[in-house]
Amino acid sequence: MISKSKKLVYVSESLINEAIEAARRDGKSIGSFIEESLKLALSARRTGYNLKEASDLLKVIHANRTLGGAYIPMDILNHLIKVAYKKKPKKIREKWYESGMLHGKYLKEKFEDPIRAFKTFLEAARWDLNEVEVQKDGDTIKFRCFSTILTEEGTDMLLKYVEGVFHGIGYKTIRNDHMKGMIILEFKH
Amino acid sequence: MTLKSTKRKTLFAREDLVNRLLSIAKRQGRSLYSLVNEIFELVIRAEDLGVNIQTAFEERWILKNAQKDGFILVPEGLWYEMAEIAYQNSKDEALKKWFEAGVWLAKRYIEVETEEPFEAFKRSLKAYNWNMVEIMINEEDQKISIRIISPRMPETYANLYSTFVEGALNTFGYKIAKKEVSFGNIRIEAVGKES
Repeated sequence: MISKSKKLVYVSESLINEAIEAARRDGKSIGSFIEESLKLALSARRTGYNLKEASDLLKVIHANRTLGGAYIPMDILNHLIKVAYKKKPKKIREKWYESGMLHGKYLKEKFEDPIRAFKTFLEAARWDLNEVEVQKDGDTIKFRCFSTILTEEGTDMLLKYVEGVFHGIGYKTIRNDHMKGMIILEFKH
Repeated sequence: MTLKSTKRKTLFAREDLVNRLLSIAKRQGRSLYSLVNEIFELVIRAEDLGVNIQTAFEERWILKNAQKDGFILVPEGLWYEMAEIAYQNSKDEALKKWFEAGVWLAKRYIEVETEEPFEAFKRSLKAYNWNMVEIMINEEDQKISIRIISPRMPETYANLYSTFVEGALNTFGYKIAKKEVSFGNIRIEAVGKES
């Protein structure tokens, strides 16, 4: 049963002022805005991810919608890549690269840390990758990803896409090493 | 977000919600104050982005569900392009692949969502087609009517996707009574095989 009793909690004034403004924009009372926020936070906890992750994911999903990301069965994607790669390899590699460039430019414009945002995107959306690692060392970036299910053609397409993303952000490739299910890239600003 | 002010305000909230937050804060070894402020920061950040936070949680569900269903997130333009090449070069094989993918998904729902598999399938189909302008699935007695509209959907892709839906409907026990496919538009009507 839902309790009707109320409790008093302290919140920083600047946040409350922003919350009042957000509630006003939504046409809600500040009371219902606060209760909804608390309920959502509890619901997020129940589903097993924390607020920081929720916040990062929120931005990444928003970016994906803007960039036209859409779902496709993995088997179909592999089939499409296989046929397209066989028939028009140059064209299709260019397309993946261009798509990555667009993604990278968008991330650079919209995110304080576009590389972290890209890693969050890959981890959330590309579950076919077992491991995604991005190490920043001064103006050099080391990118590695591993997958036990990625096809040879799929690896090559993903490589072009990742290169496009980093080039879009403003990096240049200094090392490119890949084989089926494994991509190792290094970039320099 | 950096706090511009350290002033505090008092708020009233439902006791049961506050009690649960208190226990979360205790578990995490932090104050209720910091937890409540973090929640507000998240909600306000979402608002500033123009994203409804409820929707964001639902989308988290979509990502998790997509993984179970074997769906992957790829820029739409890319797979329209590849679908076009696949369709032009090996039409029969492409259609067969999409049909089989539909069969696979429906079978998964029948096996896993034993109570209401078709409802679960409908929910996922709508969720995965966030790029479509309209997706309508009506079910009445033993008849199903599906309409998918997107001005960006090429005819070849519409053909492939309709075959995917056909594979799924077939597995759920329906046969196609009418199918119309054109640029940006899929309309399918199906009836129960036993009706």
